Amino acid sequence: MKKSKSPEASRAPFKVGDKVRVRDMPYMFYTRSQLYTRGAVGTIAALTYKDLIPEEEAFNFDGHVEQYYIVRFRQKDLWPGYPFDNDTLQTECPHRWLEPATN
Amino acid sequence: MSEDRIALLEATCNQDKTWEALAPRYGVTNPSPPWKTSLTAMCDCLAASGALPALERRNAEDDLADSLYSHIPSPERELLALVHTMVSRGLVNEADLISRMKAVRARLEEV
Amino acid sequence: MSHTHTHGSPGDTHHKAAPMVEEITDYEVLEIAVRELAIEHGLFTAEDHRKFTEWAESIGPAAGSRLVAKAWTDPAYKALALKDGLKACKEVGVDWAEPTGVGTPSDYMEFHVLEDTPALHHVIVCTLCSCYPRPLLGMSPEWYRTTNYRRRLVRWPRQVLAEFGLILPPEVEVRVEDSNQKCRFMVMPMRPEGTGNWTEEQLAEIVTRDCMIGVALPKPGRTADVHPIQKARRPVKSSHQEAAQ
Repeated sequence: MKKSKSPEASRAPFKVGDKVRVRDMPYMFYTRSQLYTRGAVGTIAALTYKDLIPEEEAFNFDGHVEQYYIVRFRQKDLWPGYPFDNDTLQTECPHRWLEPATN
Repeated sequence: MSEDRIALLEATCNQDKTWEALAPRYGVTNPSPPWKTSLTAMCDCLAASGALPALERRNAEDDLADSLYSHIPSPERELLALVHTMVSRGLVNEADLISRMKAVRARLEEV
Repeated sequence: MSHTHTHGSPGDTHHKAAPMVEEITDYEVLEIAVRELAIEHGLFTAEDHRKFTEWAESIGPAAGSRLVAKAWTDPAYKALALKDGLKACKEVGVDWAEPTGVGTPSDYMEFHVLEDTPALHHVIVCTLCSCYPRPLLGMSPEWYRTTNYRRRLVRWPRQVLAEFGLILPPEVEVRVEDSNQKCRFMVMPMRPEGTGNWTEEQLAEIVTRDCMIGVALPKPGRTADVHPIQKARRPVKSSHQEAAQ
């Protein structure tokens, strides 16, 4: 199976510590990216593996391979009025769901 | 994704015959019915063969657990949701299930 | 099937069968019926089903407990567990690449051990569908699969932990790990006080499944995850119990 990089994925990969925002893209039915993270800003906590993104994989698309990341968010940035300043949440995202955030 | 009622499964729903209800009545302390691992294996097999991917099955299960089968506990609820999803997707049909259930019950009761 | 009762005289050992649910429920019948039809339609093979059932029955949290206990007593192994989770699993007898001999039930490729510190407490969830590190921890608990846990843990983690009896100081960072892709996770809790001279076996005993998910802390003396069991609503009395009254 031919694996190619999507145009977005040919951008350089993020590094641990980079600030990123979860993009708000139209999604197909079985997306694995949680609604609660859309639009939120977090930091790259780790690089995991390179793989097909599941929406395309689910439909056996001869598709694109991308870097996956663990992204860390402050809970305060995910939920309005979250009362504990130090709490965080981590979740895994493929590169195409993320864009650099400047602040 | 179909939430149409399936008569066979509606008829099968019986809270009194769930493991949660039966086990204490018989003094059985096992937390799950004996067929639970078989059900788990069936879900894994369907995912592995591609017939019913895990995420699709679980999404349907979440919807059915909140609606048609919300009054039935685990693991009976998962069984009903799985069969419902398989019928909705044409993997098995209701008529075959009805006749097979009759045959299976006869086989088990003959022992 | 008939059998004769033999009533022994006092002093004889009289073997009593363990109680069983003696009814054949429609649920039991349905599970068999759908499985037979699925095999006949070629959705999977009987052999694969047998292997997966055997695997489902063989797995439990023992390997995870051993991993944690080993990490607590061996700093080099702990470093390995945090750096290369899959390799650390192999050393406790779990090979993620070949857990059943028919390949993995799902396609996970990475496994991370999350280390708790005095300033950081981890708890694991899969909001989408309840993915869980089965090769290492066995079957996921029922509560882990409920929408109640999956939806609420990300939003109100401390409330949910409190429902499990776990309350953490506000300055501790509670970090929820949502395993929504192919990585799988396990928590390495902190070694509790008062276990300084314990053996690995003794330590493994108190690392229960709930501790490795992050809803409980290991404690000397706590070797089981206990959750309230519903009392019977209409208990059946067998005839020998009634005769005895």
